[in-house]
Amino acid sequence: MENQSLDPRVNRLQLNPSGEAVTVQDGENWNVFEVFHQEKRGAHHEHVGCVHAPNAQMALIFAKEQFGRRKKCVNIWVVRSADILAFSAEDEDMFANNLEKTYRDASGFKVMEKINKYRKSTRHDEE
Amino acid sequence: MYGGGYIFDEPNKRQLNEEQLHDDPEKLADFEARIARGEKIEPGDWMPSEYRRQLIRLIEQHAHSEIMGALPEGTWITRAPGFKRKLALIAKVQDEIGHGQLLYNAAETLGKSREAMINDLLSGKSKYSNVFNYPAETWADVTVIGFLIDAAAIVNQVANAKGSYGPYCRALERICYEESFHLKQGHDAFIELATGTPAQRAMLQDALNRWWQPIMHFFGPPDKSSVHSEKLMQWKVKMASNDDMRNQFLDTYVPKIWDLGLTLPDEKLRKDPDTGKWEYSDPDWDLFKKVINGGGPCNQERLNVRKWAETHGRWVRKALMNPKDRIAAPVA
Amino acid sequence: MTKNNALIYMLTAMADDALILGHRNSEWTGLGPVMEEDIAFSSMAQDKIGHAWALYRIQQEDLGGGDPDQFAFLRNEKDYRCCHLVEQPNGEYDFSLMRHFLFDHAEAIRYEQLQQSSFAPLQPLARKLKGEIKYHTLHANAWITQLCRAGEESYARMQSALNACFPLALGLFEPGGEAEDLLVAEKVYPGEKALQQLWMDRIYAILSAAALNLPGEHAVQPAYGGRKGCHTVHLQPLLEEMGNVFRTDPAATW
Repeated sequence: MENQSLDPRVNRLQLNPSGEAVTVQDGENWNVFEVFHQEKRGAHHEHVGCVHAPNAQMALIFAKEQFGRRKKCVNIWVVRSADILAFSAEDEDMFANNLEKTYRDASGFKVMEKINKYRKSTRHDEE
Repeated sequence: MYGGGYIFDEPNKRQLNEEQLHDDPEKLADFEARIARGEKIEPGDWMPSEYRRQLIRLIEQHAHSEIMGALPEGTWITRAPGFKRKLALIAKVQDEIGHGQLLYNAAETLGKSREAMINDLLSGKSKYSNVFNYPAETWADVTVIGFLIDAAAIVNQVANAKGSYGPYCRALERICYEESFHLKQGHDAFIELATGTPAQRAMLQDALNRWWQPIMHFFGPPDKSSVHSEKLMQWKVKMASNDDMRNQFLDTYVPKIWDLGLTLPDEKLRKDPDTGKWEYSDPDWDLFKKVINGGGPCNQERLNVRKWAETHGRWVRKALMNPKDRIAAPVA
Repeated sequence: MTKNNALIYMLTAMADDALILGHRNSEWTGLGPVMEEDIAFSSMAQDKIGHAWALYRIQQEDLGGGDPDQFAFLRNEKDYRCCHLVEQPNGEYDFSLMRHFLFDHAEAIRYEQLQQSSFAPLQPLARKLKGEIKYHTLHANAWITQLCRAGEESYARMQSALNACFPLALGLFEPGGEAEDLLVAEKVYPGEKALQQLWMDRIYAILSAAALNLPGEHAVQPAYGGRKGCHTVHLQPLLEEMGNVFRTDPAATW
């Protein structure tokens, strides 16, 4: 049967013109895998998105083209989305006080202040 | 590529009020404050049910537009003239499928499965951008689509990328990067014809004439006739008005077309030097509605082709299905 | 037969195979069984067309050949040297996948050998394409193995695709007569028979892991003729379509 398309590719398909309903079964697009790519050696793997795939091997093969076909990429990880354990959004408050705990941070220690103060005091002594 | 203007199912006031009765007012206030501060909403966050519904609708239709948009351009894959054009066109159509993939994933984080979205596309319940229901008659059509429709899509997508939903914004960031290649290769092929032989120029002018109205339709009905969408604007789901986006598009691209000595089939088209706004004849909005509702020249074919792909790919998908697998939605 | 002509014979055959198969496979772009596979298969179609382009350019730059676009898009049917395998319409995905599997292993082996070719321009090309083709065969192996282990229907589909493709795939190694003898003597490549043997070993390992039965090499009639310009009925319409726009004005730039 010849279709009347302007697309010669479409004219080679056996289209069903009856308008019959077509449905995709749940799970037919397989499982979901999160994808992490590494831009260059030595860099962290970073999350870039996900692919639908029946298993990890196919997920890796799919991820290579969907997330590694442009720009520099040297490696990819995939992991089943169901295997990712994360905090829930409302647990964000557990991290809220981080910035106050300056004793964990270089910015919490004012070495130069002390040195300057000492210098100032010794200069006074000399005078 | 996509033009989102018309696709919003504007929530009517009554429905919105009812929905909001079920939303915890304190959580709603937090949510709105977060958006007002410019923070992103992430999949696990509390969100009003109407926000979720509208976003699924928006992202899903955007995704459908990508995979349906692959069809008019795919029309010329096997006939593209020369290696460079052939490779660029295949890569471009491939990107559209890639964009669909990213967008379906983003929508899935909101709780609707990819399968359910595809089913709504196939049944006609869910729409896609009208512009893809027009035929790509000649090679020049591909250059017009690649240059001008992608340009229009970029205006829309750059706006949407500043929206409030994290996964959608992240998908759009990648999409906008790739669209810049689309625009460039489209522009290049367009200019090749514009500066080519008289026959090439005539072919291009003919394509421009045919595509101008669908392009004017692209951003959706004028603001004056569309329902107010303050809530969607406040929630940063809708980022710019249809007329503003259309004006931005005309402002950037009409001069580029005129520069090449090409004409556009609208005698009223001009920029008002005082207001800085473009004036144009109203495109046929009844036709626009007719095409949305299935009456365009290619609606039937596009859906039948999509159904063919789903039907003929089914055995591959089913063979590798694992019913015992623990399946979760994308994390982010 | 000069060495130049023999090289042109070989490179044209390789390039035409890659171009026509890439063209065929690009017909799946946008219509694949699932989006992720659509993207992967489309990339590989682009790669094949890219391989053809590179080979036509070597002919132009090193062997006095013509412009690659003109050469690829405008020749007469009998001047194409592609084998019958690549000319076949796509059929269902089983056929396309099996063709991809058989073709890409043959391509992998050919380029592996060409890394040591005495014809210098082929060495860097063969090295450059190594990783690309590695992905293609990895992809093909995974699909063949997984589909064959995924139940009766898909196993039966793959077996019948193999039955259909195998005689056609033997045409990839059609003896090249005088040209081939000369290229072997000049150490340009080891010859079709040697390549076919390496290919058989390579695909046999995968096919047996997939429990597919390879039709007896001697029981089937190899589909020869393509290298001599005798083609199936499918090539002429494909060429008309491919050159459709280009031919409206071959002197114009597109």
